[in-house]
Amino acid sequence: MDGKGSEHLATLREMRSRAILGGGQKRIEQQHARGKLTARERLALLLDEGSFQEFGTLATHHVSEFGLEHHRYPGDGIVTGFGKINGRRVAVFAQDFTVLGGSFSEVQAQKICRIQDLALESGIPLIGLNDSGGARIQEGVRSLAAYGEVFVRNVMASGVIPQISLIMGPCAGGAVYSPALTDFVIMAGASFMFLTGPDVIKAVTGEEVTALALGGADVHMGRSGVAHLAADTEVEGIGTVKRLLSYLPQNNNEDPPQVTPHDPPNRMDEALNSLIPVDENQPYDIRDAIAMVFDHESFLEIQPAFAPNAVVGFARLDGYSVGVVANQPAYMSGALNIDASDKIARFIRICDAFNIPIVTFIDCPGFLPGTDQEYGGVIRHGAKIIYAYCEATVPKISLVTRKAMGGAYVAMSSKQMRTDLAFAWPTGQIAVMGAEPAVRVLYRQDVQAAADPDAKERELVAYYRERFFNPYRAADVGQIDEVIEPRETRPRLVRALEVLRTKVQQNPPKKHGLVPL
Amino acid sequence: MENLSWGLSMTAVGMGLVFAMLALLWGLLTLVLRLDRPADTVAAPQDAVAPVSTDGAPNDNVAPEVIAAITIATLAHVSARRREAAPMMRSYWPGSTLFASRWVATGRARQNRTWQRRGR
Repeated sequence: MDGKGSEHLATLREMRSRAILGGGQKRIEQQHARGKLTARERLALLLDEGSFQEFGTLATHHVSEFGLEHHRYPGDGIVTGFGKINGRRVAVFAQDFTVLGGSFSEVQAQKICRIQDLALESGIPLIGLNDSGGARIQEGVRSLAAYGEVFVRNVMASGVIPQISLIMGPCAGGAVYSPALTDFVIMAGASFMFLTGPDVIKAVTGEEVTALALGGADVHMGRSGVAHLAADTEVEGIGTVKRLLSYLPQNNNEDPPQVTPHDPPNRMDEALNSLIPVDENQPYDIRDAIAMVFDHESFLEIQPAFAPNAVVGFARLDGYSVGVVANQPAYMSGALNIDASDKIARFIRICDAFNIPIVTFIDCPGFLPGTDQEYGGVIRHGAKIIYAYCEATVPKISLVTRKAMGGAYVAMSSKQMRTDLAFAWPTGQIAVMGAEPAVRVLYRQDVQAAADPDAKERELVAYYRERFFNPYRAADVGQIDEVIEPRETRPRLVRALEVLRTKVQQNPPKKHGLVPL
Repeated sequence: MENLSWGLSMTAVGMGLVFAMLALLWGLLTLVLRLDRPADTVAAPQDAVAPVSTDGAPNDNVAPEVIAAITIATLAHVSARRREAAPMMRSYWPGSTLFASRWVATGRARQNRTWQRRGR
């Protein structure tokens, strides 16, 4: 090309060069000085080399108020496009903090919506890298309206394609709802999320709090449950996205990728046989059982610090992705409470949406008693677990490791709630309630009338334990399909899932169910 | 009597000829087998083995620590790739329908069918 043609090319190349620089070299250096990467550097780490194709590189805003006409940057503070992660096609967007603090504009929304539409139509995961100071105030209501455009697409794509949000900086105000509507929120580095910032809180309530103390990763991982995973650095956060994606399919019609198995399916770990302590009140870490049963080092725990009395996460079994739900006897004896119910129910629904079989480990003495729980609506929250298990059509396998008491037994993937296979270890205790309270209810008069009430109560407790504190009565009436040796768990699960892999179950047609939210 | 001797001599000639041909065939087959044997099996295995270094030093002068570091890095890399389900670790390509039987594909289509009122 020569003459006019070469001028055209030169113009394009110059505009592209400007776009690559985002807010300019000075802003890039400031971003680096804060220990943060630019949007393009992050995408370069996330995507396979040379796989990224960008769209909307040259889009700019059309606002001329508040001096914005002097701040037009190609791309308008966001980089959108398609790429590949380990060979898998994905749609991505990354907010560019070097351009007007990554503030959310109408053009940004248009670019995000475009990539959301294309991702949904193509059936590929959508990954968003958020780093924005909030709505672009100069654009007024236009930037607020733009949020709605993104939210509606988040909801339409929910349960169809995996949506992952990686928070890599500020995420405040209305902007928090887009990540909150996605399937997974990962917080990396010194990122934070809140609806109203420290200044507004101070003005309204007089409370003084820092941004990180208000909405940092520790808060959302441990207290609010907004975030699902956290990473100390941005690079680690990007690695976490890649790992998480490996357990998810491209869309709700496909299966997650199977990794060539490297752990023998018939491996039996003898240590499992001695995992449950002899003293039934002695805690143990259910993560030990998970580590021994599933493929070596394959467990990725989701929300590890939030409601630690329940453990959820993805693992691999003979190379296939499975969802693991478990009570954690090492924390609150594994009792279910409001937060644990929410955590479990949400995870079950994610697994069900993306065709990931669910394996449930049960060691639960019941729902946590107390006024806090009752006033907080533990009935409604606990019902979410039941709803999620009953609604799920993916293969479901349960395993009672020790206690399965009362309502918690029913809620935790009991046989009648469309669980495909129910296993129990010989240490299983399946009963309506604990021995002592049961004896007090059943034999109150007998105990009171006895010459030695304490001895009588001990005798009746021992009788009750012998009758009910084992898995054999449940197996007798068909509530447990098989009582297995703990070390047999892995081969039994592998074979069970091999059969259930082609399970197809259909729920009645409806507009949508009414989850007890 | 004359016929008998003629018969015996003919029998001897015939059988001799047959055995001679068999011996010739055996000789030919043996020769072919000897010529057709692979060269490496002809040589004595001990001769093919290179002398093993006994001083403990690697042949290419790479320190054992370096070899150990490379081994650990390689294993860590493979482990990371496995965790990320990298292409070489996957049993089928993403988007492939190889995983799905017709039963599963039809079932999933049924599961995802939107409910709509009819007759409008």
